Amino acid sequence: MERISTHQFMTLGAAVLMGTTFLPVASIATGAGGRDGWMSVLPGFAMVIPYSLMVLSLLAQYPNKNLLQISEALLGKWIGKCIGVIYISITGYFGGLLLSQCGDIYERSIMPLTPLWLFYLGGLLLVFYTVSSGVEVFARFSEIVFPMIVIALVLNIGLSIPRMEQGELLPILSEGLKPIFSGAFKIMPFAMEYILFLAGILTFLPNSKKELAQLKNGVWRAVFLVGILDMLVVLIQILVFGPEEVNRLVYGLLVLGKIVEISRTVSGVESLFMGVWLGASVVKISAFFFTVTWGLETVFGFKGVKWNLAVCAVFLGIAFGFVRGHSLFVEITLVDDYLILPFASVWIPILWGVSRWKKGAGVQ
Amino acid sequence: MRSWLKMIKELTIRPKGERQIRKSPSYSFDEDMKKPLSGIKVKEILGSSSDVVFREFFIEGKERIPCLLAAVDGMVDKNQLDQFILKPLMVDLAGHSEVTQLTLANVVDRTLQSILPGLEFKKITKMEEAINAILSGDAVIFFGDTTEALVFGARGWPSRGVAEPITESIVKGPREGFSETLRTNTSLLRRKIKHPSLRIISLKLGNLTNTDLVVTYIDKVASPDIVAEVFRRLGTIKMDSMLGNGYIEEMIEDNPYSPFPQIAFTERPDVLAGKLLEGKVGIIVDGTPIVLVVPAIMTQFLNVNEDYYQRAMVAVLSRFVRYLGAFVAMLAPSIYIAVTTFHQEIIPTDLLMSISVGRQGVPLPALLEALTMTVVLEILQEAGLRLPKPIGQTIGIVGALIIGDAAVKAGLVTPLMVIMIGLTAVASYAIPTFDLGLAVRIIRFPFMVLAGFLGFFGVSVGLYVVTIHLLSLRSFGVPYLSPIAPLRIRALLQDTFVRAPWWALKRRPQLIDVEEPRSGKKG
Repeated sequence: MERISTHQFMTLGAAVLMGTTFLPVASIATGAGGRDGWMSVLPGFAMVIPYSLMVLSLLAQYPNKNLLQISEALLGKWIGKCIGVIYISITGYFGGLLLSQCGDIYERSIMPLTPLWLFYLGGLLLVFYTVSSGVEVFARFSEIVFPMIVIALVLNIGLSIPRMEQGELLPILSEGLKPIFSGAFKIMPFAMEYILFLAGILTFLPNSKKELAQLKNGVWRAVFLVGILDMLVVLIQILVFGPEEVNRLVYGLLVLGKIVEISRTVSGVESLFMGVWLGASVVKISAFFFTVTWGLETVFGFKGVKWNLAVCAVFLGIAFGFVRGHSLFVEITLVDDYLILPFASVWIPILWGVSRWKKGAGVQ
Repeated sequence: MRSWLKMIKELTIRPKGERQIRKSPSYSFDEDMKKPLSGIKVKEILGSSSDVVFREFFIEGKERIPCLLAAVDGMVDKNQLDQFILKPLMVDLAGHSEVTQLTLANVVDRTLQSILPGLEFKKITKMEEAINAILSGDAVIFFGDTTEALVFGARGWPSRGVAEPITESIVKGPREGFSETLRTNTSLLRRKIKHPSLRIISLKLGNLTNTDLVVTYIDKVASPDIVAEVFRRLGTIKMDSMLGNGYIEEMIEDNPYSPFPQIAFTERPDVLAGKLLEGKVGIIVDGTPIVLVVPAIMTQFLNVNEDYYQRAMVAVLSRFVRYLGAFVAMLAPSIYIAVTTFHQEIIPTDLLMSISVGRQGVPLPALLEALTMTVVLEILQEAGLRLPKPIGQTIGIVGALIIGDAAVKAGLVTPLMVIMIGLTAVASYAIPTFDLGLAVRIIRFPFMVLAGFLGFFGVSVGLYVVTIHLLSLRSFGVPYLSPIAPLRIRALLQDTFVRAPWWALKRRPQLIDVEEPRSGKKG
């Protein structure tokens, strides 16, 4: 049985939570919160902490089981299976959309003439290879990719400082706290994507008392690290482009990468950043690929290379269905808002509540 | 027609039993090996070999005891045989106090205890031991028809001696290197680590070659799991021949289909000692100066022993240059292809104009141009490698200067491409390990193709594939990219990309979960 360390859990969690959220987060946050939208990012991500703690407390109670297995144990076989089917459907569909997003950002930014299917195929090859190599390799992959993402983001932010206009932020909180709440609510689905992954990876986590405490610390650290980074990404985009333009530019960070210039000599380095964004994309898609395979194994007992290939085919099919542009962005937002957020925010508390009630009532 | 088919069938399809076993000559000796030890039988088995010499003589004791001395000419030190066996038994024995009590029944024990003065005498009772001892260069004395014999370790053959290794030259450090003789090598190692915990365990591999090898490690420093795994893997090797370290390397490495080396090697006793002190295990094979070291991690192949003899600042700079060199050697041509084909926006305008002018009239696209030049480079490298040194150098100069210059003048390639490939070649020489250099040469080609078709996207995909592959590799249970992933911060900061000063290197590298202080005590 593969195991990942508590440190790897933290890095993997951060990498999955971050994923490619830094691309649309500014548009979403400013769309809901206007110029104060940047303040909503950290609270939006922080909402995931209580959910994560609930999931980890379930791990303590049911070691070596994922949430689908725990659902079957707590809610009965058929309700558990139904939840499993919903879980597989949502994560499978969302994974396909993320694959589509991977091709979309490459086509939009640096390689408009290259056929889209080549990006899908390249991305899917990496995802398939990662998934086939197992969770341990995936965790190690995130240990390499996540620092790269952080460095690339810091570079993007740092190199954009000369283009900042402080006036874009003012006046602060002119419309009160309401924009922050509505922005946080729009950011929450990003965090809930992480919860779906956490639901599946439980079986690979250590479960001693000391390690559980470290896992909880890991969640806190991952959430705050990613929340702060995404907040800075939103902040810098608002400062450079202004809130209206950020909202209009769906992937403002790509534009930011395009205009980066060092001493009027080095410019157009977005293609280098794109290499890092590809890594981020692979982490996120792989996470959802894993969730689908874990779901299939738990609910139907399907596992092995042929089922992985089947999932690849489904991902490709979905990616080709939503080719590009605004419709893809809208679809991802819809799945986030109306599927992932409600599903995770209802499922986890119910499971946790039932387990507490059963424990209190002494029901096995 | 039917008879034709029958004949073809008989010729092509062998009976099942015949197909299954291809008997090696060694198996025909199996029966002889199980027989009781006897000098006459040994003479029968080895007598037809002209290099095996037999010397018959008698000991005049209480009774007349026939003796037979057997050894391989050229593998034993004849002076030692004369001085420690023949003279004591044939000349000095007459005046010995025990001579009158010697009988066939007690001759072996009494000879061993009080007559023969040499250090390396051993009593044996099996035919297999006798044959192996003779063929390994020892001398064996048989006494009449007793089933016991004495082995005298008198190995002595011409050897190269201790010389400076060619593959691991060094500016500031010891000059001695391993040779082809196993015992010389173990003595060189023992001189470096004078501690009882240094273990040197002997094994034999190869049914026909009976090659001696030793597994060496430091007890309580090396992980018992890794040591056990080394012995387990060596134990699974079933081969007729074992002519060098390469045989073992391929048989015990974790992933034989990876281009990356998973077992390190060294020709230097100081390097081996250093690795053993880090908790690694060495495998020294007789007949080769190359010693295998396991487990191996990726970064180890980019660090050299001189890092530990230089001051820390110098070592850090050298390592940085080597890592940069490896990166350039692997990716420089593909980045050039990607930039000139897909991402011209990255290039400053002046440089872009210069490249554009240089490319005018060149018939090949950048991908083909780079592939052609890289293939030429590979041919030159391969040609120069096996030639005598002066000719090899000439080949390099002719290739690099004349062919490159002629190709540019003929308008076949751009000057920038020649510079790029030259830079790649020079950078690849900055990779200190030959095996890793080969791996980089192999993966350079797919990177170029990916860059030619997909630009930086292709290069990124290639890099991630290589990364995932490296992450999935293990060497004897140790993750190949350790201490980068899984992250071990102390090891990473102390002795990976940088080398901390010796006073700061307080702990051994963390190969497995346990991290031991270098002093041997918990710090």
